[in-house]
Formats: sequence, C-alpha cells, structure tokens
Amino acid sequence: MITTTTDLRSLTEMVGGDLLDVSNLVPANFDAEEYQSKPQDVLRLRNARLVVRVGLDYDLWFDRLLQAAGGRDIQRGGGGYVDASYGVAALEIRGVSLGTGDGHAHGSANPHYWLDPRNAELITANIFAALARIDPGNVKIYEANRQAFLARLDRKITEWETRLAPLKGMTIVAYHNSWPYFARRFRLDFAGFLEIKPGVPPTPSHLAGIIQTMRKRGAHIVVRESHEPDRDVAFVAQRTGASVVVLAATVGGLPAARDYFSLFETNVGALIDAAGPK
Amino acid sequence: MIEAIEFLWPPFLVAVCLVGIHVYFGIQVLARNVIFVDLALAQIAALGATVAFMLGHPAQSLATYGYSLGFTLGAALLLAFTRHWAKRVPQEALIGVIYVVAAAASILLIDRAPQGAEHLKQILTGNILTSGLGEVAIIVPLYVGVGLVHFLLPSRLMHAGSLFWEFVFYSTFGLVVTSSVALAGVLLVFSFLIIPAIIGVMFASSPSKQLAIGWAAGTLTSAVGLAASFVLDLPTGAAIVCTFGAALALAGAAYPFFRGGRLVTLGIAVRVARWGCAAVIAGSALQLAFAPRGDQPLMDMLETVAPSLRSLYFTEVEAATYRESNEYAERHRLAAEQLIELERRRRTQGEALDDIEVRRISSFMKSYVEMRKGEHFVMAEVRARARERIRWPASLSLVALALLIAPLPWRRLGARLPHRFQPVLRASQRSTVDR
Repeated sequence: MITTTTDLRSLTEMVGGDLLDVSNLVPANFDAEEYQSKPQDVLRLRNARLVVRVGLDYDLWFDRLLQAAGGRDIQRGGGGYVDASYGVAALEIRGVSLGTGDGHAHGSANPHYWLDPRNAELITANIFAALARIDPGNVKIYEANRQAFLARLDRKITEWETRLAPLKGMTIVAYHNSWPYFARRFRLDFAGFLEIKPGVPPTPSHLAGIIQTMRKRGAHIVVRESHEPDRDVAFVAQRTGASVVVLAATVGGLPAARDYFSLFETNVGALIDAAGPK
Repeated sequence: MIEAIEFLWPPFLVAVCLVGIHVYFGIQVLARNVIFVDLALAQIAALGATVAFMLGHPAQSLATYGYSLGFTLGAALLLAFTRHWAKRVPQEALIGVIYVVAAAASILLIDRAPQGAEHLKQILTGNILTSGLGEVAIIVPLYVGVGLVHFLLPSRLMHAGSLFWEFVFYSTFGLVVTSSVALAGVLLVFSFLIIPAIIGVMFASSPSKQLAIGWAAGTLTSAVGLAASFVLDLPTGAAIVCTFGAALALAGAAYPFFRGGRLVTLGIAVRVARWGCAAVIAGSALQLAFAPRGDQPLMDMLETVAPSLRSLYFTEVEAATYRESNEYAERHRLAAEQLIELERRRRTQGEALDDIEVRRISSFMKSYVEMRKGEHFVMAEVRARARERIRWPASLSLVALALLIAPLPWRRLGARLPHRFQPVLRASQRSTVDR
C-alpha cells in the first residue's frame, strides 16, 4: 500500500490496522507540492496493490509516476486507486484544475483538506471502499477498525473544539495558506498570508499591508510550518510584537506529530500555549 | 510615503553595504575573468552548512558557520590552484564544475534529511527586504576588515600572483560572498558584483574611477529598484535584479555617445531603431496573414494598452458580444470571490456554516469558475474570427507600413528599375524623405 503523504498513510493505517504494510512516498516534513520522485518510487509502486493520493492538484507529480510504474489496477479508475479528496467539500476554488481530468473537475481548490478532522470520515470512507474491492475477505476487520477510529476521532474533535474555544475569532496570520479547513472546523480567523504565490517572496507593500492588518486587529500569533522560511515570519512578528507558532500541516511535520491524532494534539497545544498568557 | 521609507531604509542600507564591497570584488573578478566564481563559492558554503546540519548542528550555530567557512576555504585553495592549471582549460569551466557538483552534492545530502531543504534554501535565497540593522552590524565590520586587507596589499592582490596570494584573494572573497548570499540571495549578489563593475569598466580606465562610477551606479540602481518594488508591488530581490539589468542596458545604449562621433552614433541608432520597428511590424503581418487565430503579440499589446483599438475591426455585433462576455466573466469572478469571502467570514462570525451549506457553496464556486472560463472562450473566439476576417487587408497594410519605416535605399533600388517606373518611385521617395 502506497500513499503520497504521511497523513494519508496514517489514515490508511487506521483503517487497515495490522493487515496492511503502508508506506508514504513524500518524506515527513517535506513540501509535497515540490516533491521530486526517485527511481525507487517506481519500484515501490510496481509492487503496490493500493495507492492513495491527496488530489486537488496537490500531488500532480504522482500522475507521471503512476504512468511510469504501469499496472492497470492502480491507475486512475482502477480498483486500487484512491483519490482521497473524492466527495470532500473543497474550499477557496479559484482556478480550473491543471490535472488530467476524470469527469469530476474539482477545480484548483485549496488542497489542505485533511486538516479538518471531520474530513477524515470521507477520506477513510474512500480508502475503505478501495480496500473492500481489493481484499473483500477482510472487510469486516476494516469496517471495525474504521468505526473504532471514527468513534475515537469524534471524542477528540469535541475535546479539541472545547480547548480551542477561547481562540474563537482571534486574528492569526500564517506564512502559507494551509489552514482554511482547520480554521473552519475550529472557528479561527486566519486573516492573511505572507506568501502570495508559492515560491515567490512577499512584496514590500504586501508585507506592509499584513503588518497594518495585524496592528489594527491586535493579532499576536504568526503561524509557520517547520519547512517554511523563518526569516519573513520573524520579521513580521518582530514588527508587531506577535509570537511565532510552528505548526505541523502534515503528520511528521513536527517530531511530536507522529500520527493523525497527535498531529491535531500538537497543533491545538501549540496554539493554546501561544494565545494563553496574553 | 513615510510608510514606504520606514519600510525600505533598512534594506537600502544593506544594499549600500553590499554594493560597497561587491563592486570592488566585481572589478577584480572581471579582470581575472572568473565571472561565476561567486556562485561556486556560495554553493560550496551551502554545502558546508548542509554537512553541519546532517551531523546534527543547529542552523545558526558556531559549528555550522565553522563548517561553512572550512568548505569555503577549501574551495578557495582549489580555485587558487586552478589558476595555475588554467593554461589549457579556461578557469571558468572548472568554476562551473565546482558549482554544479556542490549543488548536486547538497541535493543528495538533503535527500537524507528533508528538514534541511529549507535550511539550504535560506542559505542561497535570502530576502533583502526583511534584512535590517542587525545584519548591517555583522557585515560592516567583516567588510571593513576584508577591505582593509585589500587596501593595504593592493599590488599583491590586484593581479594574479603566487599561490598564496591567490588563496588570500579567493578566501576573502569567499567570506564576503558567504555572508552576502545568505542575506540577499544568489541572484541579487551576482548583480551587485558584476553589473556596477561592468558599468565602471565601460566608462573609466583607472581602478579608482571605475570603483567610483560602480558605487554611484550601484547605489542609485538599488534605490530605484527598491522604490519600484514598493510602488509596483513586486518581490524586492527580483525587482532590484531587473532594475540592474535595465541600468546596464541604459549604460550600454549611452556608451557609444561617450566615445566620440555623436552624430554618426545617433544616425546608426536611428537606422537600427527603424530596422527593428520594421522587422517587428513585418513579422506581425506574416503572423496575422498565416496564423490569424494564433497569438498576435503586437496587436494584443496594443489592444491591452488601448482597448478601443478593437472597434477598428470588430463589427457592432462582435463588439457587443465581446463587451458582454467580459462583463459576465468579471461578474462570475466577483460572485466566486464573494462566496469565498462569505465562507471565510462565517468560519468565525455568526452561526457556523454546516457541511451541506459548505458543499453548496463549493459547487457554486465550481460553476462560477466554469462559467467564467466559458466567457473567456467566447471572447477569444470573437476576436479570432474578427482577425481572420481582416487578415489580408490588415497584413498588407502592415507590410506597407514596415516598408515605409525601414531605411531602404530607395534611390539606389530605383536606379536599377526600368525607366517607366521612375516617376512612381520618385514620389514614394519624396514621402520617405519628408518624414
């Protein structure tokens, strides 16, 4: 079983339990949008019975890799192919999808949908459906695993929502726009982003605008992911007196974020710590 | 205005410091013909930092700096040696090899430690906009020290000499480049190094005058680039690099006027400009005639500047369709933006949207995107058809215009033609001369 990212790996493991051997292509803490595949990846895909990808144009490089690997079952439309974004309500749709379409053109929406824990229900449903196709003998075990996972997730979401309640409406600025799904679930206000387009450094008037917004709204949290540059974030934080919070947008993004649950535990804890004393 | 100055003066100060030391080294680098040596040294320093990172040292630690410095000094030694080998093989080729291998080696190392990727990027990209007084306090003593060494030992360091003095030159240069690249990025540092130095070398022959001209040009260009980046809302480093490019083009255009024969130069410039215009117009005519549905860069550019030009060749129906589609496309864009904004607002304000509502918003956004795409298709189709209709008369007129603009020797051509064409030609001649 191959997934593109660590998040999907963690979710696939939640459904598969001990029955599956799951590995991810993009290492933890690596920007999956800029991943360059290696020869070994093709080999690993040749032996894979199930592939799970993020979709929404997030891992476009995966298409070419699949082509190189061959094997009809794991190609788009095959029994072992899972686009985990299927059925997810996408946010911030602005452009038209760049990927090779398969009928449900989802447009280039914001792809960080796994950061809304409620979306895990749909993601695991997609994974479960594929597992049921390729391994019908163990369907009952997969179903039981998934139900146990969802029950635990449900309790946890309530807990996280309660813990983050004091931060409701608090203005936060982030480096990259990874957080709309997270913000929607936990009712946080991400008011601006330092990075306008991936790979393009912020312009002076954009930074000035962000600083002005932060001062006006009394924002005192700037979020960055651990693989993002700290200089620009530190610059803004220093000018506004805000504190920098490093969050994990993927499993493994921080050492403490070992699986899908601890990913949210870590982020919730970091945000509360940053907002707490003020 | 005050906000802009408050924002831009620290990077400007950094730029002045960088120009100060780099123009000097740039003149040296040009004289030695090792143009890309700064890229190689920066990449080697990055490789050193990557190795330190792999061994578990934190990014900003003394150990990392030590590794970086050690690698740079090693490269300096290598460069000093290659100076002596470089009889048969140009030294620039070896510098290229150092750069490429160091870059590839860093990628291999980073592949084993993904969290180092960002670290490596930081060493090589920098962002002059977010640099400030803290950085100035570090680089000024360093640059003054290096400058002092070069000021006291000019005769030994100016020209290629013994292995030792070559090593001193490259290691001091490595020290400077390592710190400046982390601050401003490879592209900007290369521009600081080479472009003002070229301008200095173009307009003066004594080193002190070259330096003075380079400093003045570098400082002025940095100021213009920073201002442009603020006013036009562009990424700062890239904006300054392009301004430096423009400054060099300007200096290149001005150069012939400083080297005597101003009238002759002006004459040549006018002829070149006329040929250039004629070539562009004739090329557009060909493109319009044979691929009317393809891109028409000249027409597209003119129509972007003055959209009313379309009324010259659109029929009334076409103009109306085009206008309507444009309005609808804008309306769809706004509608989609409003939905995005509504969803964003409701994350924190009022009742939270439930999943079904979000799903509906999501599908509306998709529809708007598709509808907007459809309107853009209609606009492109209307324009393509209109251009197809007028392609022959329009391209023939463009060819005629190109012939009029081109400085063709009508008189000489005319003399070769049979006698009965002479009056026609004389008339056309008069019209070109009058203009």
